[in-house]
Amino acid sequence: MAQVELNGVKKLYRQGSIEVPALQGIDLTVEKGEFATIFGPSGSGKTTLLNIIGCLDTPSAGHVSLEGKKLDGLSRRELAMIRRRNIGFIFQSYNLIPVLTAYENVEFAAQLVYGKNKKEMRASILETLATVGLEGLENRKPGELSGGQNQRVAIARALVKNPRVILADEPTANLDSKTGQEVLAVMAKMNKEHETTFLFSTHDPRVMECAGRLIEIRDGLVSRDERRNTQGAAG
Amino acid sequence: MLLVKLAVRNLMRHKRRTLLTAGIIAVAVFYFLLFDTLLVGMDEMAYDNLIDFDSGHIQVTTTGFWEDKEKLPVEHLLTAGPEILETAGSVEGLAGITGQLDFTARLNDGSEELPVRGRGIDPETIKEVFALEDYFIEGSLFKNGEYRVVMGKKLAELLELEVGDFITLLLRTKEDYFNTIDAEIAGFFHTPYPVINEYVVYVPLDIAQQALNAEGELSHLVLRLNHRARTETVASNLQAQLARYDDSLLAAPWYEQEAVAVSGAKNAGAQLILAIILMIAAIGIINAVILAALERKGEIGMMKAQGLQEKEIVLLFVLESAGIGILGGLAGCLAGIPGVGLLVKYGVDFTAMIDMEMSEYGIPILGAIYGRWMPKSFIFVFLYGFLVSLAAGILPAYWAARKDPVEAIYNR
Repeated sequence: MAQVELNGVKKLYRQGSIEVPALQGIDLTVEKGEFATIFGPSGSGKTTLLNIIGCLDTPSAGHVSLEGKKLDGLSRRELAMIRRRNIGFIFQSYNLIPVLTAYENVEFAAQLVYGKNKKEMRASILETLATVGLEGLENRKPGELSGGQNQRVAIARALVKNPRVILADEPTANLDSKTGQEVLAVMAKMNKEHETTFLFSTHDPRVMECAGRLIEIRDGLVSRDERRNTQGAAG
Repeated sequence: MLLVKLAVRNLMRHKRRTLLTAGIIAVAVFYFLLFDTLLVGMDEMAYDNLIDFDSGHIQVTTTGFWEDKEKLPVEHLLTAGPEILETAGSVEGLAGITGQLDFTARLNDGSEELPVRGRGIDPETIKEVFALEDYFIEGSLFKNGEYRVVMGKKLAELLELEVGDFITLLLRTKEDYFNTIDAEIAGFFHTPYPVINEYVVYVPLDIAQQALNAEGELSHLVLRLNHRARTETVASNLQAQLARYDDSLLAAPWYEQEAVAVSGAKNAGAQLILAIILMIAAIGIINAVILAALERKGEIGMMKAQGLQEKEIVLLFVLESAGIGILGGLAGCLAGIPGVGLLVKYGVDFTAMIDMEMSEYGIPILGAIYGRWMPKSFIFVFLYGFLVSLAAGILPAYWAARKDPVEAIYNR
């Protein structure tokens, strides 16, 4: 069963009286454990596609399924519960809570799935932070960390819930190339070790080199879909 | 728990705004406490004045006199026989008892005339019930059988009377015939109870009874108790006992006087003003939550992306507004302690400030008004401030929580 499946997904945005098509009929299947990048020019629909897969947005037409479950017609509350349990997000600008420490930012996401099992949750948070290379920095707030470290916190925050899919919207765009490669390596490592499905958008050709699958979007349509054998950064 | 921690940190994130909003609530709470202590103090002083100078704790009278008491109907007087005197004199916790005969009259100085209330009193027993004798500023109280009167300095000034002058009280007898009391002024008093100072002329009880053709009759038998709090119980028991002798008799507690009802209406108006002050605090909270939501759009979007439900985001913002309420309430209460303390100790003299006596505003008090300690008011206003803040935060919190996650994340 495909992890994510899109059939004929369209998205129209209304700007005044004009309808602007962002997606014009996307058919796409993502299997469990894939490390795929979505690329394309600005305004091609990459972010819209990720938002629809991540249940943050709903399609104007077509169907989206997550592990075989159709998302059509679900309420805001049901979509929130799907995001809570199945999806992790990594944003270009990290979107960490500035008043919480690295540990607490990860804890904020962890408590949504761990409930009252505090001991297990704490162990999982520390382990995840260590995995992304933040051991010893748990008590630092975002303002006390570098961009790369902040993005690692964001990755840890997405990973700690042990989601089915992690969606990353230009995760390296705010980082220098070396830090970007390091962050990407962490993501690839997580993908290998946990078989977490990663789907991320990028403009950066060097980032694309790391991906196991390249999905190009142009004018709201998939114009290229190519699976490759290598995951450079992970290696 | 993490939401509570986050709410506290968010409040500390914008210290100036938090302090400013909490400060608005603190000011509202502080002013509430000052107003409240003065209102309670004013009420208590008005009650004390009423009891000490006009009503005592309990008045035994006839239902006929009581029902028409504004007109002082002397055709409905009370004959205080030995059974009644014995019954009233043996109530629990009695401090004093005196007879009184109130009647309408016109005070004439030979050229001018003023409507007044005549009050026949027993100079031997009045001191057991009323504090009148402590407030003489000229002359002294008369004795029984003397054709002498005393009155408030304020009333005397209206007719430019001096101690030793002679006046005439024109009155109607029980049988509705005109009669007069010609008497010398024995003294002037100036009590804290303006009504007495301005409208009442005291005459010896026996002289009043004789003039009204009401020998041995009274309008009231006035009782003073050792403790005000016992009034209701004692009045109720006395009423039951009196009914055995005469079912037209009434034992009326002091708080059934009209002046007390006026005080209640005044309080209701003041409470409305206080509600308006606290609504201003609510506007401060709404403003703070909206500003916070606008600034933290990205965070709200991230939280929604993480799977937080709207009600959880609402809870976060409501926790923050409640936190401001707690801060403001605590600060207001802390500032209120010395503020109320000063009013309790030194009082405030509105008469000096506005150059008019409080009685002209229907408040039966002269001079400074002293506050009273009301711990209940501190608890009430703290909880009220907290709940107003909490409630004020809910709507803007919903507004924040319902933001479209995509628009919030990408700040569209």
